[in-house]
Amino acid sequence: MDWLNDPNSYANNIGLCGMQFEVSCGKLPSEPKLKDGKLKKSKSWETWFSWEMAVIGYPSSFLSTVFVMYVIGYFNIIPQPNVPDLSIFSRLSSCIATFTVAPTILDVGQLARLVIQARFGIITKATADGALHTRDWDTEPLFPLPDPDFANKESSQSSIPVLSLMKYKSPSKRSKSRWEPLPEEKLVEKTVTVSNDDVKYGGWDGKPLIGNSESKVDAFSDLKFSLSEQKTLSKGSQRPLKKQRIADAFNSAENGNASSDSDKEQSLAAYYSGAIALANSPEEKKKRENRSKRFEKVQGHQSEINYFKPKNAGAGNLYSKRASALMLCKNFDDGGSRAVEDIDWDALTVKGTCQEIEKRYLRLTSAPDPSIVRPEEVLEKALLMVQISQKNYLYKCDQLKSIRQDLTVQRIKNQLTVKVYETHARLAMEVGDLPEYNQCQSQLKTLYDEGIEGCCMEFAAYNLLCVILHSNNNRDLVSSMSRLPEEAKKDKAVKHALAVRAAVTSGNYVMFFRLYKTAPNLNICLMDLCVEKMRYKAVSCISRSYRPTVPVSYIAQVLGFSSTSEGNDQVSVGLEECVEWLRAHGACLTSDSNGEMQLDTKASSSSLYIPEPEDAVFHGDASLAVNDFLARTSL
Amino acid sequence: MAYLSMGEAHRRITDYLNRFSDAVFSQDGPSLKQLLSFSSNSPSLLALADALNVFQDANRLIKQSEKYSQYGEITAPLFRSLQSYRLGNLVDTYSAFEKAANAFIQEFRNWESAWALEALFVVAYEIRVLAERADKDLASNGKSPEKLKAAGSFLMKVFGVLAGKGPKRVGALYVTCQLFKIYFKLGTVHLCRSVIRSIETARIFDFEEFPKRDKVTYMYYTGRLEVFNENFPAADHKLSYALMHCNPHNEANIRMILKYLIPVKLSIGILPKDWLLEKYNLVEYRNVVQALKRGDLRLLRHALQEHEDRFLRSGVFLVLEKLELQVYQRLLKKIYIIQKQKDPSKAHQMKLEIIIKALKWLEMDMDLDEVECIVAILINKNLVKGYFAHKSKVAVLSKQDPFPKLNGKPVNS
Repeated sequence: MDWLNDPNSYANNIGLCGMQFEVSCGKLPSEPKLKDGKLKKSKSWETWFSWEMAVIGYPSSFLSTVFVMYVIGYFNIIPQPNVPDLSIFSRLSSCIATFTVAPTILDVGQLARLVIQARFGIITKATADGALHTRDWDTEPLFPLPDPDFANKESSQSSIPVLSLMKYKSPSKRSKSRWEPLPEEKLVEKTVTVSNDDVKYGGWDGKPLIGNSESKVDAFSDLKFSLSEQKTLSKGSQRPLKKQRIADAFNSAENGNASSDSDKEQSLAAYYSGAIALANSPEEKKKRENRSKRFEKVQGHQSEINYFKPKNAGAGNLYSKRASALMLCKNFDDGGSRAVEDIDWDALTVKGTCQEIEKRYLRLTSAPDPSIVRPEEVLEKALLMVQISQKNYLYKCDQLKSIRQDLTVQRIKNQLTVKVYETHARLAMEVGDLPEYNQCQSQLKTLYDEGIEGCCMEFAAYNLLCVILHSNNNRDLVSSMSRLPEEAKKDKAVKHALAVRAAVTSGNYVMFFRLYKTAPNLNICLMDLCVEKMRYKAVSCISRSYRPTVPVSYIAQVLGFSSTSEGNDQVSVGLEECVEWLRAHGACLTSDSNGEMQLDTKASSSSLYIPEPEDAVFHGDASLAVNDFLARTSL
Repeated sequence: MAYLSMGEAHRRITDYLNRFSDAVFSQDGPSLKQLLSFSSNSPSLLALADALNVFQDANRLIKQSEKYSQYGEITAPLFRSLQSYRLGNLVDTYSAFEKAANAFIQEFRNWESAWALEALFVVAYEIRVLAERADKDLASNGKSPEKLKAAGSFLMKVFGVLAGKGPKRVGALYVTCQLFKIYFKLGTVHLCRSVIRSIETARIFDFEEFPKRDKVTYMYYTGRLEVFNENFPAADHKLSYALMHCNPHNEANIRMILKYLIPVKLSIGILPKDWLLEKYNLVEYRNVVQALKRGDLRLLRHALQEHEDRFLRSGVFLVLEKLELQVYQRLLKKIYIIQKQKDPSKAHQMKLEIIIKALKWLEMDMDLDEVECIVAILINKNLVKGYFAHKSKVAVLSKQDPFPKLNGKPVNS
């Protein structure tokens, strides 16, 4: 799924941007920690096998190449891989490939037919095209490739995509298993990207390549992996665990049913059989084609390829209207460099028909399909479901993002939209997920500006607090203060935020913690993020200005460790907490004659320090911790 | 519009083209400058604009002779721009002018000496002014204003042309100042940093070498930036420089400088005289100054509230708000002086209750904890020397200089 990690694919598309997998995956060791013996075995077995293939393949391919070249009579032509006209070269190379693998999989009759077809140019571009989606990308040079459409014309060609795997390679190079660790991590991920497409093209025609994958050419592993054989899956595909999780997430969302399978293998199996089933439907085929084309374009293939084929556009009737709009946009405007977002959404606005309340988030990469988009009344139920749900934040975040997406693609901008964003912003604030909160806040700002009602004041206060507490930019603060309308300044929440601002800038800790206790709405969540800093500043101020000692009970009271209104139990709990906090920050504590804890200010003034936060994660955001992330699949 | 014959129009256009190429040929900066200065609304340019509207095919004229077509890259878009300008279409005016300006920069690069600096300044100025006006048009039509941003990146390019060794480098500061104006207007002041860095660190620039007017403008804007950063000594230095060197007769400019210099001076404990505020019509600061003199917290808060909008817009609100601590200091000092008159031996022990009482007189209702916190902050920031005894709720002041003056230093933070 490298397009999930590719920052380019988020360009201009912040609103749809998913949870950044990359961040949390950073914690995964580059070599996943599956130390399965089985796995190692299969790897070495694969490697050995590919060598065997090389040994068999090399001489036979050499001889057959010479033979075929002779037959075709192209000896005097030097193939140029970058020449736009592929037919000669692809014919040639597919033949070479044919002979390489031939002894193991092809019967002679089929081989002969192929040669003849090659001779008369029946297998033209299509041969190469079919290969596009099954090619081993690890070892493949970048190469402009034409349209894959023709590949399914010839049902007899089930072997051809596979054969072309080795197109530009000397057979010895093939020894590299695609699951072997590669020097560049990026390439590995790329492979997986392609393999998702393989799922489809492998299973295209009625009789998918099961027979071929049985033959255990290691380069087939992506095909093996794509098939629903559970054994193969558990063996060959556990290593790229991370990517499969993502793929899994992708798929279940795509199918509109959040898989509740906690059993990993089962869900994977379900995924792949589902994927194949999907692959057979014309809509899905088209969708994936579009998607893969988009990413090819990113790789810079646009110029030589003519994507638009009328036949293609008419292929899936159900889907064709919007799809062709999309195609037209792509082809007739500026050569396909447009992102999905630039397309005229008026033509593409959908009316959803999906009745499922629960739906997982999947970043759209093509025109939305009405069958997986929920209409407004279902979204309302979905929002309610999320609001009363007892599940954790990651689940809710995911659900809300999918609701937001459905709203966006249907261009619903009303009070429901505001409600969804408000709910999400509040949830994000509660767990301190500032990035998500910021996304919602900026959306809300435009929605409020359009005059849609909501808790405008509440969010004005949050915005203010955010600027105050999390950016040290006085100019930002001043400008957001000057933008506040007059009536906002009378609002309770905004007033509170402004008072907090004053307390923070003047360093008035007493005021700050009083405001902390009386915070309306969720202001307290944003203040929480500043408490530690404020306390530290307060204690260092106290230790510099008080002599000789200050009772800890006073500090606990002033710095909000205990609330004064509550009973004695609360006070003592707060006191202990305060003592602990002071100790952790290097304060010197003594007991006076009455046994009361005192802060020795003179000694403390030089010994205070800020300890390293214990719960720090290396990517800086505890809410994206890897364990939580991994738990997502079993939601 | 008075009737204009074709011949007359033709004459005016060729006349302009002649003057343009002559100016370039003889390296006559001042006359070239006049030919480019749109917003001066000079009669000759307006006449030319009318002529262009009558005689539609000016491009043919330019191509006619080698002499004209040599600078056709500049003059052709310039004519288009002038035409739109006359018709009041400012967005098109800007776009065409930017094209002409780009071509002009290309030529300018090739001219060894700095004779055309004056003309370049005019181009830089015009492009900013036209962009501002085009943006106003765009905004009123509900479109997103983006021309000023484009002008900013164009001027950045101009800066690159000038920032090198050679006689042209003295022009760099003028362009910098135009850039500052754009960035301040757009609210993207963070972009100033890269230009400032190259002006202040690059060896090719000797700051004193630049023209005086540019130096003053530069110091004014960088001083304002320092106010935002609350770096008061630097802000004081820069704004004072601007004040000392600016034209003493230009009161509007002096007022602009003082608007920022006064809060800065207040923050470092220097109060302005009343007549200064009167003279430059800066009455909004009067109560602030009074509050500082009297230790009157209520007055300060009122003054801030009264002019909140103005202070927020100019960006000095936070600076003025920080004066509160100095007001507290003044109040404590007053209490101290009264105590000293009563009983010199106990003057340095100030009871918290007394401070609370004094604040109550000012209608500031604050409780024990709050006032204690404020005293602690005052001691911490070295506005009061001494310590606070929590048990007895007494601030014990130092016997020597308990209220140190700031003397041009900012409050410790």
